[in-house]
Amino acid sequence: MQAGESAQDLDLVLKSLWAAYQQGERRALARLLTLVDQAAYRRTIYKCLAHAFPEQTSLTVAVTGSPGAGKSTLIGKLLPLLRQQGRTVAVLACDPRSPLTGGALLGDRIRMPVPVDEQGIYIRSLATPPGRQGIAENLDVRIALLEKFGFDWVVIETVGVGQADVAIGDLVDFLVLLIPPESGDEIQWEKAGLLEIADLVVVSKGDLPGAARTAAQLQQTLNLPGFPPKPVTVVSAAKNLGLSDLVSRLMQSPRRRRLQEYYARRLLLLAQEILAERFAEKKDLVARVLEEARQNGWDTWEAACELARRLSENGH
Amino acid sequence: MAARTRRIVLAKVGLDGHDRGIKVVARALRDAGFEVIYPGLWLSPEAVVRVVAEEDADWLGISLLSGAHLILVPKVVELLRQQGLHHVRVVVGGTIPEEDVAALLACGVAKVFGPGSSLSDIVRYFQDVDSHASR
Ligand SMILES: Nc1nc2c(ncn2[C@@H]2O[C@H](COP(=O)(O)OP(=O)(O)OP(=O)(O)O)[C@@H](O)[C@H]2O)c(=O)[nH]1
Ligand SMILES: [Mg+2]
Repeated sequence: MQAGESAQDLDLVLKSLWAAYQQGERRALARLLTLVDQAAYRRTIYKCLAHAFPEQTSLTVAVTGSPGAGKSTLIGKLLPLLRQQGRTVAVLACDPRSPLTGGALLGDRIRMPVPVDEQGIYIRSLATPPGRQGIAENLDVRIALLEKFGFDWVVIETVGVGQADVAIGDLVDFLVLLIPPESGDEIQWEKAGLLEIADLVVVSKGDLPGAARTAAQLQQTLNLPGFPPKPVTVVSAAKNLGLSDLVSRLMQSPRRRRLQEYYARRLLLLAQEILAERFAEKKDLVARVLEEARQNGWDTWEAACELARRLSENGH
Repeated sequence: MAARTRRIVLAKVGLDGHDRGIKVVARALRDAGFEVIYPGLWLSPEAVVRVVAEEDADWLGISLLSGAHLILVPKVVELLRQQGLHHVRVVVGGTIPEEDVAALLACGVAKVFGPGSSLSDIVRYFQDVDSHASR
């Protein structure tokens, strides 16, 4: 929002965008996917999306794995396959943002060639906070926008999986972990707990030597007696191996996203955001409580409790 | 409210296969804090415009070394207009002879960086325009 732009202007902008979006205009979708990063717009977009419990429409799949694991290439190969089956697909392709400058080089599209007049596919590149934990900001609203637009599948490519407050596993139906052969990644991911969280573990680049061995190792690690079995599959995007098998697995398996929890999580996140904003508005309160703490001899915990109490009372 | 990061699609249009130059520019712009979308080589004007539309980019940087700029660039600009992407600023780089610059600017290109341009000229241009821009 620029200085001087009023809430009414903003509503007007959004109203016409939203109408175009509902008509299925991809330009409007593209614009909304950008505007969600501005809090004022995001609020109104939530209003437009309206229901806290829309019926689920898309199959949402996150494809994660280390840099260079083969995520983009795999997704690029799944796109024509899904189109052949009559499915429309949106891709959110995430690459990390530079921690120093905030800039990003988003190059996943190179590996996802799409015929120019193909209207059943939509690809959007997003920058994520740096590091393995990072997932793109406002990913939930973006997914919701793509779902409501009507894509049958929404695929999210990401190096990170998020952390306690937003984890990608809460936002999608399937979490696919890609592990290239002989990379040592399986050990890293096991330490990070991601092998457990993933719904499907896929060895990529199955045409390379060592793929079968990596798959066998993963089988052994994952399928311990007493634990529910977890499938390990091998694909080769280069040689078109295992791709349709992967698609049918995704279509047939039970979805992880339980809507009740998903929406509960979203509400919680929004509430946190609102509280954080309120907090920022009342910076002077912190100074006041600090002063009182000094006078009354409160310890840090007591002072924090008092601050929290006052922040939550007389909100608007 | 934080200013949003400006998004730049950097594309090679046409049939030449050199991408070193454009990759260097892509990195420099990333390091200057921009989000650079790099969709690859051998793109047709239609394909480039599709990327700009999907990515909701603010800028399109086109690099051409093939000599076909007087045909391809006006085509891209025209397609952008047809799709209602008037706000997208088009910047052209590559082996553009001095005498062709005026024609490119006349067809709606915002800036041309010919063979003599330095990396810092390019980055500074984007930063300067960006600091005045609003949308
Ligand atoms: N041999 C072989 N190489 C592959 C295969 N799939 C991808 N590659 C190669 O692996 C490299 C990385 O592929 P990408 O698809 O870009 O990997 P990514 O996981 O998307 O990488 P980032 O987005 O950078 O994290 C490229 O050089 C690909 O050509 C495959 O099935 N077989
Ligand atoms: Mg990738």
